[in-house]
Amino acid sequence: MTEVQNSPAVAPAAAGPSVKTGRRSHVREAATGWLFVLPFAVLLVAFLLLPMAYAFKISLYRSTLIEGEVFAFFDNYKQAIDDPLVREGVVRVLIFGLIQTPVMIGVALLAALLIDAATSRFSRFFRLAAFVPYAVPVVIGTLMWGFLYSDSIGPFSGLGIDFVSSDTVLASLGNIVTWQWAGYNMIVLYAALQGLPRETYESARIDGATEVQIALRIKTPMIASALVLATLFTIMGTLQFFTEPLILQPLNPGAITQHYTPNVYAYQQAFSFQQYNYSAAISFLLGAVVFIGSYIFLFATRKRSALR
Amino acid sequence: VNIGNFSARRVSRRSVVAAVAATALALTGCSSGGDDDKPAEKPTGPVTIKVWAWYPEFQGVVDNFNATHTDVKIEWTNAGTGQDQYTKLQTALKAGKGAPDVVMLELQEIPTFALTKHLVDLGKYGANSVKGDYVEWAWKQVSSGEQVYAIPVDAGPMAMMYREDIFSKYGLTVPKTWDEYKQQAEKLKTASAGKSFITDFGANDGGFMSGLFWQAGAQPYTYDLANPTSIGVNVNSAEAKKVIEYWEGMVGAGLADTTAFHTTDFYNGLGSEKYATYLAAGWGPGYIQANAAKSAGKWKVAPLPQWVAGENKQGDWGGSSFAVTDQAKYPDLAAKVAMEIFGAKNTDAWKVGIDKAFLFPTATPVLESDTFKNKQYDFFGGQKVNEVFVPAYNAIGPFAWSPFNSYNFNQLTTNINQAIEKKTSWTAALDTAQENVKTYATQQGFKVQ
Repeated sequence: MTEVQNSPAVAPAAAGPSVKTGRRSHVREAATGWLFVLPFAVLLVAFLLLPMAYAFKISLYRSTLIEGEVFAFFDNYKQAIDDPLVREGVVRVLIFGLIQTPVMIGVALLAALLIDAATSRFSRFFRLAAFVPYAVPVVIGTLMWGFLYSDSIGPFSGLGIDFVSSDTVLASLGNIVTWQWAGYNMIVLYAALQGLPRETYESARIDGATEVQIALRIKTPMIASALVLATLFTIMGTLQFFTEPLILQPLNPGAITQHYTPNVYAYQQAFSFQQYNYSAAISFLLGAVVFIGSYIFLFATRKRSALR
Repeated sequence: VNIGNFSARRVSRRSVVAAVAATALALTGCSSGGDDDKPAEKPTGPVTIKVWAWYPEFQGVVDNFNATHTDVKIEWTNAGTGQDQYTKLQTALKAGKGAPDVVMLELQEIPTFALTKHLVDLGKYGANSVKGDYVEWAWKQVSSGEQVYAIPVDAGPMAMMYREDIFSKYGLTVPKTWDEYKQQAEKLKTASAGKSFITDFGANDGGFMSGLFWQAGAQPYTYDLANPTSIGVNVNSAEAKKVIEYWEGMVGAGLADTTAFHTTDFYNGLGSEKYATYLAAGWGPGYIQANAAKSAGKWKVAPLPQWVAGENKQGDWGGSSFAVTDQAKYPDLAAKVAMEIFGAKNTDAWKVGIDKAFLFPTATPVLESDTFKNKQYDFFGGQKVNEVFVPAYNAIGPFAWSPFNSYNFNQLTTNINQAIEKKTSWTAALDTAQENVKTYATQQGFKVQ
């Protein structure tokens, strides 16, 4: 505005824009827009798109100790699809996701509804307490649980349960993940609950609804989009399961194998065996699985959520 | 990077600038490593040689070296233990920059790094002149003919550490053969009502299992860097199967435990009365001392049980060396550092190495010195344990490693661990490892025999 006042020469043009200046101002607007987007775009290109393009490129090559690097087209992908170890990992994370996701969202929703209903000092403390595990770095949290699971120094050592045998370890890992992330999801859902209009509850109460009915029939459907979002993040997280199994691996390498999840397998291929090309192919395949899985979920819940 | 010590050093302005630049470049992941064959022109003042190693108490060795040398200065970095360091090293070597001049390599890793031609032939820089300081098997681990890929530092001849208190409590005798070992294990199981195991079989440690194979005379690989594209794979040899069958029986009968090595539960087992013996390497005394302090004074060392009574067959578990990478700007000076830092004549370094870091030296003059051979260890109730380890070291035979040792160890540990977990046949697991290694080697372009 001040610019217009200080330079009257521009004023007539602004009053009656000709076609020419209109186009120019469009260009200028577009340029301004790009300028605003620039910081994000640079980061996106430099740290996501370029590395992805590079990874895709190396996934098309094959490098051997004797012959060096040769162009292999989609051979690595073919090998990964045929690799029983990749398949075993994919099946494991799918099963894990199928069990883990409802448990996680159930726990988070229950906690969110409870602290939303109660507005005592206790609820504030509980909210913080449930959120604290999320503030603990994943590596530290997992190491801590590793000690808790120990059968010589752990608090449950007297029970005679081996928490890291091949039968129990997936559940033990699920427990760690729930501990770590349920609080975070709870906060997401709780924030959504806080945004709902309170009058709705009042009218429900007048209509004779109990608190449980309000929680299940009013509140839960109204935060459907937050639920979908939390579920989506959980699905993505479980499919890319990596840190926890990698950290607990030394406790029982027979149960948590080097191909326990696709990500662990890709990591091992790259950093233990220097099979960067094959590792890149596995990562891209996993990316495709995550993408398809997320899409199926969004498609299935499209009526409930605002996310499409 | 030892930035803390840096300012205290009395160095010329030029080398300060060079070192600062090198540090900064190392931090950003790039450095000016020259890969010309000719050594670059030397600057005036001491040349900085970057060293990666994870020996305990290594700072003392470095300080000592720097105080006694005017032409070179070591800049030491602990870039992680074992695989962590190798991962960083592989990445830096592949990138062509960021690798140190001199690097600590475990003996089993040398062919892996030598195959990709990232190690400087130290033979060109006079390394063959120190050959006489080492016994044959140790020198063979680091060389191929006149080519020398690394200078040996420490080794891990195996022996049996046992708890004297548990042995006398249950009336066990020190076994001389593996048959006797099993008998004592049965006796222990009955007498302790299953509370104590004769030992723990750490199937997560490829070096440990390879050491036992080594003792039994197995040769999993036939490989010579002089003919780098051809490899013999015999992972499931009769000798290796003999070892694996024996331990399958021990574990199956509940005589040996299978807790993973280097875990809290394992250390607690050593400190408590859970394990009566520990099949240890030469570096074991220092390692156990640090991790199972509760049991100090109760341990003794005896030779590893034999497969045939009266024989003296031995194996090695672990050990390391110093190699020079192709990114060294002054390979002659880097080679000098590699040869001297834990050299046979460097008694000051070995004083730290033996007394503080508990390394088991490979250089014969150090091994045979009175200070080492007659050293009494309080942890072993005053026993001169090197009277057991030194003869064991000298009796070790040759053993070749594959140029893809991570894969080799991975196959061993994964398949045996899975067999333990699923209670399936261990020898079948060894067959699987053999097949997988052969497939892998073929895929990598080797001529497999």
